[in-house]
Amino acid sequence: MTSEQKAERKFLRMTKSQRIQHVILFVSTTMLVITGFMLQADNWLSEFFGSYGETVFTIRSWLHRISGVTIILLCTYHLIYVLTTEEGKSWAKDMLPRPRDAVEAYQNVMFMIGFREDKPKLDRFMYLEKLEYWSVYFGMTIVIISGIMMWTEYLWPRFFLEVAGVFHLGEAVLAALAIIVGHISSVHYNPHVYPMNRTFIDGMISEELVKEEHELWYERELKTLDKNNSGSDGNEKT
Amino acid sequence: MCHKYPGLGRIESNKADNTNEIKRVFYINSELYSKTYHGAIRCRSCHTAVTKIPHNGAKEVDCSTNCHIIDPSSNKQFSHKKIVTDFNASVHGKNGSDTFYQEDLPICKDCHSNKAYHAEYEKHQEGMTFLKVCEECHQSGDFTKRYYEHISYRTSKRRSSKEVVKLCSTCHNDKTLMDRHELDVVAGFSNTFHAKALFYGNTQVPNCLNCHAPYTLGFSPHRITSKKNSDSPTNPENKHLTCSQSGCHVNAEKSFASGGYVHPSPEKIESSRVFGSQKITRQQNIIIDWIQTFYKILIALVIGGLAFHRILDFHATQRENNKGRHSE
Repeated sequence: MTSEQKAERKFLRMTKSQRIQHVILFVSTTMLVITGFMLQADNWLSEFFGSYGETVFTIRSWLHRISGVTIILLCTYHLIYVLTTEEGKSWAKDMLPRPRDAVEAYQNVMFMIGFREDKPKLDRFMYLEKLEYWSVYFGMTIVIISGIMMWTEYLWPRFFLEVAGVFHLGEAVLAALAIIVGHISSVHYNPHVYPMNRTFIDGMISEELVKEEHELWYERELKTLDKNNSGSDGNEKT
Repeated sequence: MCHKYPGLGRIESNKADNTNEIKRVFYINSELYSKTYHGAIRCRSCHTAVTKIPHNGAKEVDCSTNCHIIDPSSNKQFSHKKIVTDFNASVHGKNGSDTFYQEDLPICKDCHSNKAYHAEYEKHQEGMTFLKVCEECHQSGDFTKRYYEHISYRTSKRRSSKEVVKLCSTCHNDKTLMDRHELDVVAGFSNTFHAKALFYGNTQVPNCLNCHAPYTLGFSPHRITSKKNSDSPTNPENKHLTCSQSGCHVNAEKSFASGGYVHPSPEKIESSRVFGSQKITRQQNIIIDWIQTFYKILIALVIGGLAFHRILDFHATQRENNKGRHSE
């Protein structure tokens, strides 16, 4: 896809703060998924650890709690971030769902099937990215509340704990699968970025990809670029 | 005398089923026997009715018999009599149980075997000079050895939690047996958090005995009582105390321990869906069913949708690539 002759311009897609937030979320979610599903696995897993089982279990329990607390802190920080900082406000504003998203989703599906000639011009965040982002709010609310309930088990009647457990597991399965099928596939197995979209590391997106996937945003950014007549203000030339 | 010969045995016809024969071995390895808990006790201390050959009229061993050893704590003949009396009064015993099927009740041997002391204790003794100090006065080396083994064995955990669960499950997970006694099988235990931690080897979580016969609350495995009994640690009135013992759910209120079986079997849950019960109400089941159904549908829709979208994207990219190639 990329050609070396073309002057490769890159655009800033994730700021440093967003990248750090993403890495924290990524590491702690992975930890939570692994240490959580260790409880759901059949006895073969506990037998596999043999005499190290008890140590493994203790580490598992602590990692799950530490990662849980990390995520609670991260979510709190993120809420403050989107409500107070310029960067965060612009992020949340562009993330807000609009009726246009439904139209774009319809148009894009039609294009992918082959009923439409052109791909719709997508904005900074396309409908799937918005869905992923807001699902995290929904999911986090559920896992955090049910998780804290199970952590403070002595405060609750048995039935409440059972309900919390069902929610915690259901949401965990949904989130883990959504990350694998939705997110990992779009940042790794997406034909435009395979084997890995490096945006989460350097924050940059190539001109080619931004044109392909976020054309509307690209055009808007170009205008700002022209106005400023330089590579500053959120855009970079390389 | 005769039992030291390895070939000693007999083929008996099975009383229950005449076609099958049972091979019984009467050989006793005296060296091995001397290393067991009862190693210092002579055969006839337990097999009391054996007075002649052949041993006609010999009765089964009664564990409440007075042994021919002196209990150093009381200077009297040692006996398991108190344990046997306690056990008989417990829910597992012939006096404590109101079951019609007395023959199903466990006997001492079902849980206890005359095991050999762990080989590790022997290994440990080699480097221990303090045993030499003991032997200065207690000149029988055998006594000091047995005393050391007894103390070190008794002060360590004798059965792992996994072993306890396995032992209790022998009967309590037998559906036919439990149905006969109108009890629920313990299959549901494996779904609890306690069981999951326990199978990893975690020692902080309770096994059967920690809740049904907690030593800290003055109970013992020989004095297990039915939950219907008002003193029982599993009685709804006392359950929260059981949960809060040994630094577990220390702040547990009554409500924490109430309102539900701790480990209902899947069948029990299923039947409460149909009939309802005081412990698991139908409404509670319906709520849980709704949440599970909600997640099943949500997962199917979201994951199915995302996968479908990804496949379409592959399809579209391939099509566009082909187009590009043709136009070149």
